[in-house]
Amino acid sequence: MRIILLLLATALLTACSPPKPPQLQQATLLPSAKPIADFNLINQKGEAFTLDDLKGHWTFAFFGYTHCPDVCPTSLGMLGRVMRRLNENLQPGAMPQGLFVSVDPQRDTPEMLAKYVAYFYPDFIAATGDPAEIHRLTRQLGILYVKSAGDKDNDYLIDHSAAVVLFDPDGRFHALFNVPHDADKIASDFLLIKNYYEASQ
Amino acid sequence: MKRRLSLLLLSLIISLAAADSGLMADGAWVREAPPGASMMAAYLVITNPTDRDARLIGVESPAFAQVMMHKSVTVDGMARMLHQDSIPIPAHGSVALEPGGYHLMMPAPDTRLRAGDEVEFMLHFDDNSSVSVTAVVRKKP
Repeated sequence: MRIILLLLATALLTACSPPKPPQLQQATLLPSAKPIADFNLINQKGEAFTLDDLKGHWTFAFFGYTHCPDVCPTSLGMLGRVMRRLNENLQPGAMPQGLFVSVDPQRDTPEMLAKYVAYFYPDFIAATGDPAEIHRLTRQLGILYVKSAGDKDNDYLIDHSAAVVLFDPDGRFHALFNVPHDADKIASDFLLIKNYYEASQ
Repeated sequence: MKRRLSLLLLSLIISLAAADSGLMADGAWVREAPPGASMMAAYLVITNPTDRDARLIGVESPAFAQVMMHKSVTVDGMARMLHQDSIPIPAHGSVALEPGGYHLMMPAPDTRLRAGDEVEFMLHFDDNSSVSVTAVVRKKP
């Protein structure tokens, strides 16, 4: 009898204990999701883009610039593949948004960004803005960028963090995907993170 | 007669010197530029079957005003693009110019290149040899 009670108690405890964190291939989960202070950027339509725009859905974010011919198109093409893969698995309402933040507001205008990001995935959104506002967001994420050598005023390169950031539907910094990126692994990690998040609510 | 012969010999020597040194380039492609992008990248594989280390020292193309040699590196999570004066191709080896590594960077021409278009590149090496290669524009990440 005592053994049965013990078994019952164990079963109950197991049922009530929080779900185990998922085994992830590429993502680094933050020990606890980090709330983000508000920021004031401009989206690809020229409208305000703030913390509120990160809420209500998951967001993959990548930080770069359109004059970047190698790393940025490779990463955005990879993120486009992640979205297409997720599209096969998720209802439209459950899809994450894909965000490209240009850290080069001197050259990247919202109009340019609109055409640029749609090339990689039709629903991708973009944001840029005042350098201080870009910094207000990036410094909370550990995303770095710095202008490097250029011959002329408008001819420079930018060294920038290559990681993809994942925001949760509360607009918190939830996970980071470091390079090298693999679209299939990121998509499957995302589904695990999302399920774990929903089970933990 | 003697003079003509020596001229002939001289031109033969010159053409031999400029001839194909054995270096080969293939698999060349250019990433189709997304709308609004001002820079493009090209990729290829250069093979050096000779006994001597070689260096790619310059690239030209009639399709682009300028062709620069670059290398993307990611150090501590930061992606950087480094200008390269030359790209080494070891003896009996090869070097791949590929996304995230060595690549050619060109300003996008006024007339946008589309997937399927072909462009020529002339690769110049440190032994004075040159190799021309046709690259296909591809819509590929």
